[in-house]
Amino acid sequence: MGEVINPFILYAGVVLGGLGVLLALPRKRISPQVIGGLLGALGVGVLLIGLGLKASPEKQLPNVYFYVFAAVALGGCLRVITHPRPVYAALYFILTILASAGMYLILAAEFMAFALIIIYAGAILITYIFVIMLATQAPAEDEEEAAAPEYDQVSREPALAAVCGFVLLAALSTMVVRGVRGIEVNRGQAAFQSQEAMERVPRRLERALHRAKAISADEAVYLTPDGLPVIDMHTGTVVVARPDPTGVRGAFAEASRRSVAIPSSFDARNVESLAFDFLNRHPGAIELAGVILLMAMLGAVVLSRRQVELDEEAKANQSRRLSAEGEA
Amino acid sequence: MNSGSIIPVLNLLAAGAEEGHASAGPVAHGPWWVALIVVLPMLGAMLCGAAAALKVRSKLPAFLTVGLLGASCALAVSMYLELAGGRSITVSYRWIDFAWGTGEGQRLVANFGFYIDSLTCLWMLFVTGLATLIALYASEYMSHDQGVGYCRFFAAFNLFVFSMACLVMGDNLLLLYLGWEGVGLCSYLLIGYFYKRPAAVAAAKKAFIVNRIGDLALALGTMLAFVHFGSVEYAVIFAKAQPYIEAIKSGHLDQVPFVVQVIPLLFMVGAFGKSAQLPLYVWLPDAMEGPTPVSALIHAATMVTAGVYLIARTYPIFLCSEYALPVVAWVGALTALLAATIGMAQFDIKRIMAYSTVSQLGYMFAGLAFLSSAGAAYHVFTHAFFKATLFLCCGAVMHGFAGQLDLRKLSGVAFMKGWGIVGLAMLIGCLNLAGVPFTAGFFSKDMILAESFVTMGPGYQVLGWVLLLTAGLTAYYTFRVFFRVFVGPKTFEPGDELHAHDDHGHDAHGHDSRGDAHAEAEHGPAGHAAPGHGHDFHPHAPGWAINLVLLILAAASIAAALPYFMGEHGGWVPKLVHESSATTISDGHGSTAAFLASGLHEPGASAHGTLFGQDPHKIMYYVSGAIGAVGIAIAFVLHYAGRKTAGTSRADALVPALGPVAGWARRKWLVDELYDALVRTPLWVLSHVFHLIDKLLIDGLVNLFGWLPRAAAQRLRPTQGGDLHGYAAGMAVGLGAVLILVWMLIL
Amino acid sequence: MSLLAASSPVWMLAQAAPPAEMGSITLAHYLVVSAVMFCLGVVGFLTRRNLIVMFLCTEMMFQAAGIALVAFSRFHLHHTGQSFVIFVLTVAAAEAAMALALVVLLFRKRESLSAGEWRDLRG
Repeated sequence: MGEVINPFILYAGVVLGGLGVLLALPRKRISPQVIGGLLGALGVGVLLIGLGLKASPEKQLPNVYFYVFAAVALGGCLRVITHPRPVYAALYFILTILASAGMYLILAAEFMAFALIIIYAGAILITYIFVIMLATQAPAEDEEEAAAPEYDQVSREPALAAVCGFVLLAALSTMVVRGVRGIEVNRGQAAFQSQEAMERVPRRLERALHRAKAISADEAVYLTPDGLPVIDMHTGTVVVARPDPTGVRGAFAEASRRSVAIPSSFDARNVESLAFDFLNRHPGAIELAGVILLMAMLGAVVLSRRQVELDEEAKANQSRRLSAEGEA
Repeated sequence: MNSGSIIPVLNLLAAGAEEGHASAGPVAHGPWWVALIVVLPMLGAMLCGAAAALKVRSKLPAFLTVGLLGASCALAVSMYLELAGGRSITVSYRWIDFAWGTGEGQRLVANFGFYIDSLTCLWMLFVTGLATLIALYASEYMSHDQGVGYCRFFAAFNLFVFSMACLVMGDNLLLLYLGWEGVGLCSYLLIGYFYKRPAAVAAAKKAFIVNRIGDLALALGTMLAFVHFGSVEYAVIFAKAQPYIEAIKSGHLDQVPFVVQVIPLLFMVGAFGKSAQLPLYVWLPDAMEGPTPVSALIHAATMVTAGVYLIARTYPIFLCSEYALPVVAWVGALTALLAATIGMAQFDIKRIMAYSTVSQLGYMFAGLAFLSSAGAAYHVFTHAFFKATLFLCCGAVMHGFAGQLDLRKLSGVAFMKGWGIVGLAMLIGCLNLAGVPFTAGFFSKDMILAESFVTMGPGYQVLGWVLLLTAGLTAYYTFRVFFRVFVGPKTFEPGDELHAHDDHGHDAHGHDSRGDAHAEAEHGPAGHAAPGHGHDFHPHAPGWAINLVLLILAAASIAAALPYFMGEHGGWVPKLVHESSATTISDGHGSTAAFLASGLHEPGASAHGTLFGQDPHKIMYYVSGAIGAVGIAIAFVLHYAGRKTAGTSRADALVPALGPVAGWARRKWLVDELYDALVRTPLWVLSHVFHLIDKLLIDGLVNLFGWLPRAAAQRLRPTQGGDLHGYAAGMAVGLGAVLILVWMLIL
Repeated sequence: MSLLAASSPVWMLAQAAPPAEMGSITLAHYLVVSAVMFCLGVVGFLTRRNLIVMFLCTEMMFQAAGIALVAFSRFHLHHTGQSFVIFVLTVAAAEAAMALALVVLLFRKRESLSAGEWRDLRG
């Protein structure tokens, strides 16, 4: 197998995309934004189709959802950087975020998909929109709609920036298409991680087994004295046993031990796996993130506080009023 | 000092015991107090330094020096008595000992240890003895300079004795090298003692720089010895050199590696530098700019014999080489002849003595090369005494006549009031140097001369005749001085320095370019008497210290002949270096030739050379005695008989007959000019070329590399215009560049 | 071909070849999308002069990084990639808070959002 993608297709796509973005960027007089947008879309399409052509040896249809989300996300991005009005740019960015969340879903990262929508689209972008509102001059009386300020209407050095950005893209995508083959999947570690996650949810596994009628009603997932189930990831089985007939809590009748297959629908959920990974492997980073957020909050408060200038008389009045309230 | 931490090292004894010399006894463990011989002069140097710091203005440093050196001398005598013909090693202090592996030659051991054998004892006896006497002499001679300069003089004097003792007594080449450089340093310091006189400073620099050449060779030789033998210790080196000597004896010259042939050649160059032999002798005559006691001790008696010592000490290595000893023989003999011819034409009596020293050193080297290490050592010994006597007499004259050293301006000194002892000592010294029969110099020189006819070697017969001729020349120039200066009509003309009346004596001490200036003024009867001196000047006769020292030294010069009469057939003399590293061959008269016949030079040649069909050892007494007498007779006729004034003699009539040759000899055969043309001028041109290269190329490059960032910054500075986009573009371009780089390098 | 067709159990993936499970979409697809998004962010940051839009473009670059991380997480069957997206979100949120506060402050001073207005802040 040669290249993941034919280099001519790759660079043709990059050049087309660059031209498209160049044309789509806002200009003072006539800006051929539609043509630019089309060209850009064409470029991205060439890129992705080139990838798809090479990557489907079995003539499978490509995953439509991926293409849809990718197209929406990149189209949104293009509009973010080309729309002369910041509010629309922010709204297009929300579109990009939503499409990205869709891609996260395809990538089996459900938690991150919804977290992205809630945090990014719901919180951060709304903050942006608020600030855009705050930081825009009110339109003059006689104008129907305020013209966008000059610095929004005219982009700066579009040609140079496009060249710069798309040369970077060429370098990046070359790295990507030539480099991915060198990245090996570590299956053993994945199995280990999955087992680690499953061992922590024996009760849920037991419920799934009951539901699938794989075990009888009085059987339970066997737990070692450490409280861990015995799971074999290679055969996909788990050991079950009946509780100890003498009625000792947590003890099992050793004779009744047997292995049953784990239902194929069962897995440690994404949230569970992510949580175990997140909390087990990065506790220090979580603390640091908390500190960063706190500092950012304090910083934002300090920076945006409006200096209220009160003269001496007003101060005196205020203190008198406060003391009066205090007495009341 | 480390006299307290005497650590006996037994493993050295084991190494010494492996020595395979035919004449080698086991190496005993020496007494601890031999270290004191080295330590006491160092103590003296420190005390003199302290005296200088305390601004002592008395003669304290001098008597301190005399006392400490006397004690050192007494210890040397007791060391000689203790030794009793054996050899020993004393390790006082583990100086250098480090290893970088466990294999052969991966450990450098150089202890502050002393290798004591008869060679060491001989050298230490005359070094410490002469140093003591000359220090006593200098206490009076240098008295005009009491103060810091006086302390400085004696500090350097002590340091010299320390260095010389290290050189001679050290048990390894590294310690020898330390002493070697130490004596070179002291020589430099003492030649340049009158540092306000340009000639003295130039002479000091010349001595130091010329010695550099030899020192480099010695250092290289030492390194090479370590590389090849895996050690710098004599005991180990000699043991490892023994197989090579055996190989040569059995005629297998090809078994000796090339490196072993090179080591003695390097040592030889080192010895030529320090002992003023042919290519490198030019510094020694100029070194006479130093105070006369220094000339006597360092530049006549002791330091300049270091080269002889080096060869004698490393004699086993020299025997391994096919070329080293013949080269030494030729260089020594030619130096002897050349220096003697220059000495004949000089007028400065101290310089004549200097050339005579060079000439006699040539004899010593030739003696070593003729495998007569005993003869060479004996000549070193006798020469040390009579040459010191001669120099000190010259010094007394110089001291008494305000720096006058021109033999055309002094006459009849011995008959002046208070100068009798000086005259007597001078006569004894001259007789020795001229080789008049039954003096020590006669016997020691004869040993070498006879050996030159005995020993088989490339052109050794010719060298024997050269040396005989030189002996005659020596007798002539020696008595030329004596007949001109010490006898004859009593007239004098003082020198141009009246240090007796001058508080800042050394400011005016001596005068520049003695020899040449007087040579120009030869025909002026009055010379260039400075106004004000005139005949109001009264020479001050030497005091008790100078007279005492001269008497002792004259007596010692005579007594130096005694060893030759004690015992039969050469007496003590062959035993002088008995049981030392220099005795490998020359333990008697017969064995040398036997050794040579067995393979070194001409296998199967006759076992014994002859002179006039006789045994050279028997006939040489008469031949050399006759030649010496002829030389003295010529000097008598030319410089004494019928001489009425100080400045003229019958020899003047001969000068025009010789044509330009006399002028050339007076100008030292133009050797200095030759060196100027051959070495100094090319170096001068080369240095200017390099100066230009440095200025244009090196400086240009450096300036270019300074200018480039400046220019680049000049261009780049405007880009930092506070524009956020510009910075971002920079980051993006940088990222792209890094990516492309990574792609090129890794993928 | 359901939306979540590719999301079969991780431990079963561990025994099967990932490319077959992922249909025809490979890691390279996601990374190319991520790269395009990142470069659009760079171009936007370089061309737009409105401070707020410039910050939006940095958010876009963050988003590109997030897509790459999640894709790696999926194709390497390792959840740390997703955990890192959480940190990316954290940093993005903190940056947004600080940056927007600064923008507000700067807008109050000059009544303009142009980045060029603040050229005199250079060293």
